[in-house]
Amino acid sequence: MGVNFAHRPAMKNIYCDISATTPLSPEVNEFIFKIQSTVFGNPSSIHRFGQEAKAVIEHARRQISKAINCSPGEIYFTGCGSESNNLVLHSLLKPGDHLITSTYEHPAVKKPASTLESAGVNVSRIPPDKDGRISPSNVEHALKPETRLVSIMMVNNEIGSVNDVVSIGEICKSKGILFHTDGVQGLGKIPVDLAALPIDLMSMSAHKLYGPKGVGALFVRRGVPITSILQGGGQEKNLRPGTENIAGIAGFGLAAQLAVETLEKSSTHLKNITQIFLTSLTEENIRFSVNGSHQIPGVLNIYFPGIEAQSLVIRMDMAGIAISAGAACSSGTAKPAGALLDMGFDIDRASTSVRISFGKFHTVEDVITVAEELGKIITPLQKDPLQ
Amino acid sequence: MKKKVMVAMSGGVDSSVALLRVLDMGHDAFGVTMKLWDYQTSGGNVARENSCCSVDEINGAKLVCDRMGVPHYTIDFSQIFRETVMDDFASEYLAGRTPNPCVRCNSFVKWDAFIKQADILGADLIATGHYARIEYRQNIPVLKKGLDPLKDQAYVLWGIPRDSMTRTILPLGDLTKIQVRKIAADHHLATAQTPESMEICFIADNNYKRFLQDFVPDKFNSIGTGNIVEDDRVVGAHPGYAGYTIGQRKGLGLSNPEPRYVQKIDPETNTIFVSKKGALSSATCKVSAINWLVDLPDFPKKAQVQIRYNSQPVDAELEILPTNELQVQFLEAQLAVTPGQSIVFYDENEPDIVLGGGIIER
Repeated sequence: MGVNFAHRPAMKNIYCDISATTPLSPEVNEFIFKIQSTVFGNPSSIHRFGQEAKAVIEHARRQISKAINCSPGEIYFTGCGSESNNLVLHSLLKPGDHLITSTYEHPAVKKPASTLESAGVNVSRIPPDKDGRISPSNVEHALKPETRLVSIMMVNNEIGSVNDVVSIGEICKSKGILFHTDGVQGLGKIPVDLAALPIDLMSMSAHKLYGPKGVGALFVRRGVPITSILQGGGQEKNLRPGTENIAGIAGFGLAAQLAVETLEKSSTHLKNITQIFLTSLTEENIRFSVNGSHQIPGVLNIYFPGIEAQSLVIRMDMAGIAISAGAACSSGTAKPAGALLDMGFDIDRASTSVRISFGKFHTVEDVITVAEELGKIITPLQKDPLQ
Repeated sequence: MKKKVMVAMSGGVDSSVALLRVLDMGHDAFGVTMKLWDYQTSGGNVARENSCCSVDEINGAKLVCDRMGVPHYTIDFSQIFRETVMDDFASEYLAGRTPNPCVRCNSFVKWDAFIKQADILGADLIATGHYARIEYRQNIPVLKKGLDPLKDQAYVLWGIPRDSMTRTILPLGDLTKIQVRKIAADHHLATAQTPESMEICFIADNNYKRFLQDFVPDKFNSIGTGNIVEDDRVVGAHPGYAGYTIGQRKGLGLSNPEPRYVQKIDPETNTIFVSKKGALSSATCKVSAINWLVDLPDFPKKAQVQIRYNSQPVDAELEILPTNELQVQFLEAQLAVTPGQSIVFYDENEPDIVLGGGIIER
């Protein structure tokens, strides 16, 4: 029995949850399929089958290094962004070290930080300001002589706000402290030039930039003393043992290349349709307020007074439109966006806000339809003074 | 007429077949799994997490819904569940009573809160996999026992709001469990062979003392040891009254040739009173928190009454008291009438029909 796609009723289906994951680009899909069906060798093998597979990986490594302007030797492939984050924290911190991170990191940073804290690592957690960003001066004030690592995400997954990684990185650099950024939500959405950015380590994931799921990478600036947390074969210069996901890595390489090549064009398009969307919300007479500022193009966290986020997400899904309340979680229940609470909003606002994230394939008609559907659901509820 | 139906999906075989039957009726359906609690708040052995609300069960429900081509959502009801079911469960035991959490869950969560959620999501009706029936007599709904006497769940539904019956479909009421399993197997449902869940869902290890210890540690630990008393005489000691229930025989540590049973629990003095079986009987009991699923009858009212989930209904007469409580006079004295448990009233002539119910006081 395969997965059932057939029975779902046909409807318009507009997917506006790009921050959760992206569909595959058709070119990437085709390329993965081609690699999957022709290249099966083990890249560690001496023979030609191995050589061919190895070449696929090394080509992808070059595509990614070119996309972020670093040396290919500084890219390590992993299983996902979460693995890259875990690798950084677990590898670099030992009891007695001090870590500075934020309160609104992805769980793949938050949870290892807590685990390490119980093992004797000293952790400072900086909350975002009302605009959804981490203030570099707050990072500076948290520094201690024993600070070993600063880990602040490039773009927050719930709000879409872009952090000032330049200033934070400069502060770290001036003190000789390592700076890691979870770049999963940033790569392919904003320009990332690692020759210029003061970043020592950056986590990446393919499925946020129209690439496949199940493949990530870690940028490690040359000289950063990172070691493996897994033991096995010597793949990825011993940092990440395990036979490589060749087709996935190939797809990641192409997706990163395409994302960067089309970055300017898609940013312009996303800024344009986002503006049209916000105008349409006003035209629908919806009361709303955007949470935070400095978002990457296309991502909005919006407060709609009068309807609980979870119910709005379900009603929108029934209307064929996918949006999100908070971040996706394993059991599928919606938890209010923790980031909003950290930014100082109350629980009521946090549980009445949703994330809408548009992608490069959305059209002006799409965003107007989304605004209209929101209007059908929200406007009647906002008219009721009891709500 | 085609309606939009929100089906409560636990992830087990019953709710899966309930969904199937709702679709067979021609309705437009979607599945909702209620996330009621998790191990972070109620403790227990995570490795044994196999009852409803576990991630595995939710995943199972999602797969079933996908196979039937309907949407599935997991909705967090944990706050209301904690407030109306778990808190009450703990405070009842601490008051020396024996609560019935499934009844409260049905009354406050699975019906009241679930129907409010259905309103928000634009559903006309709700459906669940309970073994009970709702029938219409001159357009007025009545709640009836399920056809399968081994699975009938009408006893735990006495507290649902009466006006919610017109919003409810119980698609399994006219089926036996064997038929339900066969339907599931015939349709290759992934949940066809899921085991029966017998324990209280938030106490998956079936150890309610462990739960109380985790959930209300300060109160539970402050109880301490107390006396076991028979005929005004101290005959033993016990490690705390909250670990006992009326009619219990095990765990008393007494060595009489004729077994002794818990007859009464006094939380004030932390005393367990025991007696021989004969002294456990009561001819009457008082009932509070009454909910009628029919128009208020004339009193005195003859009825069949059921005093615990696994007992047979017996003949009794109900009389209303000035306090709006009921006085129940059993035709024959009943063993171990337990405060905190539900008592359910059935029609004397048509004993499948649930008239209403309440909570046994003493």
